[in-house]
Amino acid sequence: MMDSSDPRPLDQVQRWMLAVVTHPQGVVSGIRADESQQEIPISPDDLESVITRSRQCTSIERLQVYGNAYYTRLIECLQDEYPSLRHALGDESFDAFALAYLRNSPPTSYTLSSLGAEFPRFLRETRPGDLPPEIHWPEFLMDLATLERTYAEVFDAPGPEQLTLLTSEALSSIPADEWSDVKLIPVECLRLLELRFAVHEYATSVRRGQQPSIPISEPTFLAVSRIDFIVRRWPLTRTAFQLLGLLCQGMPIGMAIEQCVDNDASSEDELWGNISDWFHDWATTGLFRGLQR
Amino acid sequence: MKPVSRLGHPNLGLGVGLRTVHYPHILENKPAVDWFEIISENYMDSHGRPRYVLEQIAERYPIVTHGVSLSIGSSDPLNFDYLRRLKKLAATVNARWVSDHLCWTGVAGRNSHDLLPIPFNEPTLRHVVDRIRIVQDFLERPLVLENPSSYLTFADSTLTEWEFLKRMAEDADCGLLLDVNNVYVSSVNHDFDPDEYVRSIPHERVVQCHLAGHTNLITHCIDTHDNHVIDRVWELYRLAHRLTGGVSTLLEWDAHIPPFPVVHAEVLKARRYMGDAVEVETDLEETPALRISDSPSHRSTTVPQPASFVVAEVE
Repeated sequence: MMDSSDPRPLDQVQRWMLAVVTHPQGVVSGIRADESQQEIPISPDDLESVITRSRQCTSIERLQVYGNAYYTRLIECLQDEYPSLRHALGDESFDAFALAYLRNSPPTSYTLSSLGAEFPRFLRETRPGDLPPEIHWPEFLMDLATLERTYAEVFDAPGPEQLTLLTSEALSSIPADEWSDVKLIPVECLRLLELRFAVHEYATSVRRGQQPSIPISEPTFLAVSRIDFIVRRWPLTRTAFQLLGLLCQGMPIGMAIEQCVDNDASSEDELWGNISDWFHDWATTGLFRGLQR
Repeated sequence: MKPVSRLGHPNLGLGVGLRTVHYPHILENKPAVDWFEIISENYMDSHGRPRYVLEQIAERYPIVTHGVSLSIGSSDPLNFDYLRRLKKLAATVNARWVSDHLCWTGVAGRNSHDLLPIPFNEPTLRHVVDRIRIVQDFLERPLVLENPSSYLTFADSTLTEWEFLKRMAEDADCGLLLDVNNVYVSSVNHDFDPDEYVRSIPHERVVQCHLAGHTNLITHCIDTHDNHVIDRVWELYRLAHRLTGGVSTLLEWDAHIPPFPVVHAEVLKARRYMGDAVEVETDLEETPALRISDSPSHRSTTVPQPASFVVAEVE
């Protein structure tokens, strides 16, 4: 311990240490980096002026405990949140993407549940722009990341479990002349996803310990919500997805149907042929917590 | 004036850190655990199963909230949004007390999600004491702070860790969470006498003890929470028990987590070190995969706690 009555300011020491232990090339590079040199300009050889050594470990070795842990811990969390993306990429590539993401978006929140929130955005923004148009691999990875992040959000969001939900019977009992003006109120955890690959099937296979093939590209529409605290997803047709999306925006049922048909006249037969079943299914799976007349 | 022992908090007995893998066992079997400690950040923002399970468990067992992100030692401003959520959670589950660590977790708006050490000197002491007072005023209850394991010391330190803890607790009028495993880990890493540490802290301010396993890497130890408590740590616990007169004691097990009965049996071993103990029979020694090991490990990647990530449950 030093005898000086004038130690370095705490904020300076902390900014220096964080810069050093989060340097992706390790703490020696971290000590030499501009960011840490601005705070405490020392060489690795002079580290003992900041960090003391122990009987068995040098100052560098002691600092390395924190340096080694930083990315390892955070990458493990991303591995847990994105198991299917990791499976698709392979461990080494996933870790490289995760490392790049963490450098791009260092954690700022008090909770690790926010750590992976921007990973899909990061993948979108760093997509290689020079790939031939027939190469869809990046889009598949982005869709997987979007799906797995959605799962995490739905898991923590306010869910339907302790609510009295709108039943199929309650929907059926609405008088015909009122039906058109009714607005449906979705449960807060409901998310609608439009994807380019059936990544939900891929993700389910991975979670079952299987070795799925990369699916071919096909427009995929999903509703993601929760039953009994477990995240579930339901594939939708394009028309059902559009209708459900408009209803979730607060549009009255009649207006939502009209807009669906206006958007795509060819969907009218599908819509009128299935709408009763769709509403029944959506109510049965607890997607709505009430209605407004 | 000498404070009331444990700041007036009860001795809750022998508790276990609540972990998601044990939810089904706890809900189904309602084990005879004295109390549970939760990682605050895993429940503050949850509206899903973790929060639902916690509220059921809180109806039956005393709960203590234990945070990893307060960052009381940081030079960044305190996060009052975090404190508001913590206060609300503590009220909802009727937390017997609120604890965190004597550390900093980030600076300049960043969070390392690690429990980083502070230099033990007069300016840092004043800084930490001031912040504890602010937090206690906001939470309207005393804060209980834990000694974290650490892996380095600063040349700018002018106090020992136990001197710092003593003065901090007395000046800020806060409680202490004495992690005897962390004392042992840090004693190996920093070449001090762990008995002296335990003897020197203000015992009347110790509200709670922590127990855990760690990893011995020959040259240093890492606080991994992934194994049984070693004998030397149990001896430190015996000393702490004698000096404090007995405080709420909790076992943390966060990696390679065994079935709940194994974790529970581990904390019940504490009775052997209380002097008037009834010997607790367990079959741990007959379970090879869970054999107690004091011998050094040669693992390539060893990450210290905390790791408090909750994985989503998907159909």
